[in-house]
Amino acid sequence: MSTIAVEVIYRGIFQKTLAKHITRGIVLAARKEGKVGVAFGRYGDSPERNGIPAKQFAIVAEDDDELQISMAQYEPTQVDVTIAVDDTLCKGVESWAWYGLQPVNKLLKENGTLVVTSIHNPEDLIPHIHRKEVPYNIALVKGKTSFAGLWVYKDDHTDVRILGVLPRVAPQLFSSSSIEQMIRDEWNDDLKVASAERSFEKVQIRKVKPDEGNSETPYSFTMPGWKDMEEGLVVRAVPNGGQYEGHDGGYRPGRSPYFKKFATRTMRPVIDFTTCTKCTLCWLQCPDSCFDVTPDGYYEANMEACCGCGVCEAVCPVDKCVTMVNESEFADNASQWEMWRADKESYAGWLKGKIESRPEERSHGFHHRGQYESEKVEQTD
Amino acid sequence: MEARSDLLVEEPQKLDAFKGVKKVTVEEYFGSGHRTCQGCESALVMKLMIKAAGPRTVVLGSTGCMYVANTTYYTTPWVVPFMHTQLGSSGSAALGTAAGLKALMRKGKMKEEAINVIAFCGDGGGLDMGLSAISATLMHPQYNLLILCYDNESYANTDIQASGGSPWGVNTTFTPPGKKHRIMQTRWKKNMVGMLAAGHPECRYVATVCASYALDMMNKVRKALSIGGPTFIHSLDPCPKGWDYDPLYSHELGELAIETGIFPLYEIEDRKLKYYGKTKKIVERRLKRKPVRDYLLRQGRFAHFIDEDIDYFQKKTDEMWEKWVLPGVIPIHPEEMGK
Repeated sequence: MSTIAVEVIYRGIFQKTLAKHITRGIVLAARKEGKVGVAFGRYGDSPERNGIPAKQFAIVAEDDDELQISMAQYEPTQVDVTIAVDDTLCKGVESWAWYGLQPVNKLLKENGTLVVTSIHNPEDLIPHIHRKEVPYNIALVKGKTSFAGLWVYKDDHTDVRILGVLPRVAPQLFSSSSIEQMIRDEWNDDLKVASAERSFEKVQIRKVKPDEGNSETPYSFTMPGWKDMEEGLVVRAVPNGGQYEGHDGGYRPGRSPYFKKFATRTMRPVIDFTTCTKCTLCWLQCPDSCFDVTPDGYYEANMEACCGCGVCEAVCPVDKCVTMVNESEFADNASQWEMWRADKESYAGWLKGKIESRPEERSHGFHHRGQYESEKVEQTD
Repeated sequence: MEARSDLLVEEPQKLDAFKGVKKVTVEEYFGSGHRTCQGCESALVMKLMIKAAGPRTVVLGSTGCMYVANTTYYTTPWVVPFMHTQLGSSGSAALGTAAGLKALMRKGKMKEEAINVIAFCGDGGGLDMGLSAISATLMHPQYNLLILCYDNESYANTDIQASGGSPWGVNTTFTPPGKKHRIMQTRWKKNMVGMLAAGHPECRYVATVCASYALDMMNKVRKALSIGGPTFIHSLDPCPKGWDYDPLYSHELGELAIETGIFPLYEIEDRKLKYYGKTKKIVERRLKRKPVRDYLLRQGRFAHFIDEDIDYFQKKTDEMWEKWVLPGVIPIHPEEMGK
C-alpha cells in the first residue's frame, strides 16, 4: 500500500480550527490502527486571510518509511479524498495572485471522493463543479456551513460529522470504531460520537461521470519566473481607471488582472437600483473598491472584485436596497446594472427571487457573545 | 547670509477639504486584487488615504498586512508609485524620499513639482518598532510628508501577536487567556498621538481618524499633506481576523470605538487641539458615552472577559475622559500635578 492523502479546502481563518480538527483527527484515528500519519497546512496560505481559500492536508501510511518517502511535497499532487467544508468552494478555488481559478476536484484521483458540507443536494452542486476527465464520487454531509473566527470555535459537530463519513468513503484510512475511539479520547463527548455515527449512516454518495459538471475552462495565468522580472524587481502599477466599459461616462477603477478573488466570496450583494438614493456609502466604504460608477451615477458591485464582506449592506441606509445573497444562487458574474437597464421589470422579479430564496443565512463568525451556543442547539435538533 | 537652499520649505500641494461625500473625487488609486481579508478596514484606509492624496503621490509602506497582503508575488494593487520599506523605517523612508525628491528637483533632474510623500506603518511598525524613526522624522520641519499609522491593534499579518497598540486584556497569540491567568495583556494601549504632539513642538499637524468616518478621515489626510512639514495620522482599524467578528461589522465597530470613548477623534494643528464628530460631543457633554460592554461583547478577542474585566475596562476608559488633563489626549491627572 502506498500513502493515502486527504486535503481539506476551507475558508481562511473562518474555518482554520475546523480544518485542523479534521486533519488532526484523521492522523490520530489512523494511529489507532498502527498506521502513521502527518497533518500540515499549506505553506503558501500563511498568513491566512478571512474567506480566502486555504488548504490543510493529512497523509496516512502503513509505516514511517512510506510516510517519509511522500513527505518532501509542499502540496500533494493527487489526493484520495478532498473535503470542501464550504459548498461555495465548488465554484473553484483561488488562493493568491497567479493561482487562477482551480477546480475544487483538481487533485482528486480517479474514483476518489469529494466530501462537501451543504444544505443542497448533489444535483444542485454538480453544475458548479468543473468537469473532470475521470469519474469520481461526491459525498454530501448535510448541514449549514460552519464559520467561526480565530479565537472562539463554533463546536457544532461539523468536525466529527466529516470524520464520521471517512470510513465510508475511504475505508482504507481507518474503520468506524477507530474514529469513534479517537473522538472519545480527544473530546470525551458521547454526543460527538453520536454525531459521527449518524453522519456515517446518512451521508449521500453519488458517482459523478466525466460529462457531468461545469464545462467552462477556468481562467488561468502564466506566472512570471525570475528571468521575466524587471530590473530592480519593479512591478508594473495597476493602470488608471476609465469609463464604465461599453459606455460613455461613469467610472471603473483599475484592477489587478492577476488576482480576481471570485473564490473569496460566499455571498454577493444584489442591488435594487430603483430604491437607491446614490448616497455613495457602499462605494465609499467598500474595502475592495469593487463598486463601479455607472454612467447614470449608480454604484454597481462588480463581481470581478467583490469579495463578499457585506459592509455595503451594513452601511446602506435604505431598507433592502443592498442585500447579501448566498453565492451558490448564482451561475455567472454578469452585471446587475446592465440587466436592470435592459429590462427593469424582469430585473425586479429576478431581484425578488434572489432575496426571497436565500437558502442559507450565512454568518461569517462572531456577532455577539452566546451566539454559537444558541446555534448549536439549532444544528443538533 | 542666505539660508542653505536645501533647508528651505517647499510649498506643498494645496488640497482643500471635500465638502460632503458627493464632492469626493471618483478616481481610485488603490485598486482591488489585493489579498486582504473580507471586510478589511485597513485596505479601506489605504483606499481613502490615496483617494484623498491624489495621483501625484509616492507611497511607502513598512512591513505588515498592508505590505504583505497587497503584494502577493509580483503583483500590486497600487496605481501610484509604491515602495516597501522595513518594519521600523516608515519615518526614515518618508524623510529619505522627501529629501531625495527635493535634491532631484534642485539639481534639475526632475521637474519642480509638489509631490506628496506618504509612508504608512501598522501599529507594530509604528507604535513599537518605528517609534524612534518617526520621532526623528517629525524633527525635520523642512520636509513635507505624512506618516499614517493604520492600527489594527496587533501584529495581524503574522497571525495576531500583541503590540503596543493592543488593548488591555485582549486575546492574542502572545497573550492567550488561560485557566490560571485570564488576563495576559496587562498594558493599556499606547497613547501615540498625544505622545507625538507633546514631544514634537515643531510638528504642525497630528490627528486621529477612523475610516468609519470616511469624509473626516480623508479631509484630515488632505490637511496633513497641505500644511507643510512632517505630519502624523493615527487610524484605528477594526480587523475582522484579529478582533474575531463577522466582517460585515467592520464599519459598525469603528463607530462603536468612537461612541464608547475608547478611541477619540481629534487633531492638533499648530498646537491647537480640536475634537471631532462624536468625540467633540462627548467632550462637550452633549453625548453620553456608550458603555464599553457594547463594544467588547461584539468581539471574539474579548470572549474570555468576565464582568470584573469589563468593569475595569470601563473604569480605565472613564479616566480618559474624567481625569486626563486633556480628555482622551494627555494621560496626566491635573490634581496630582501640584502634589
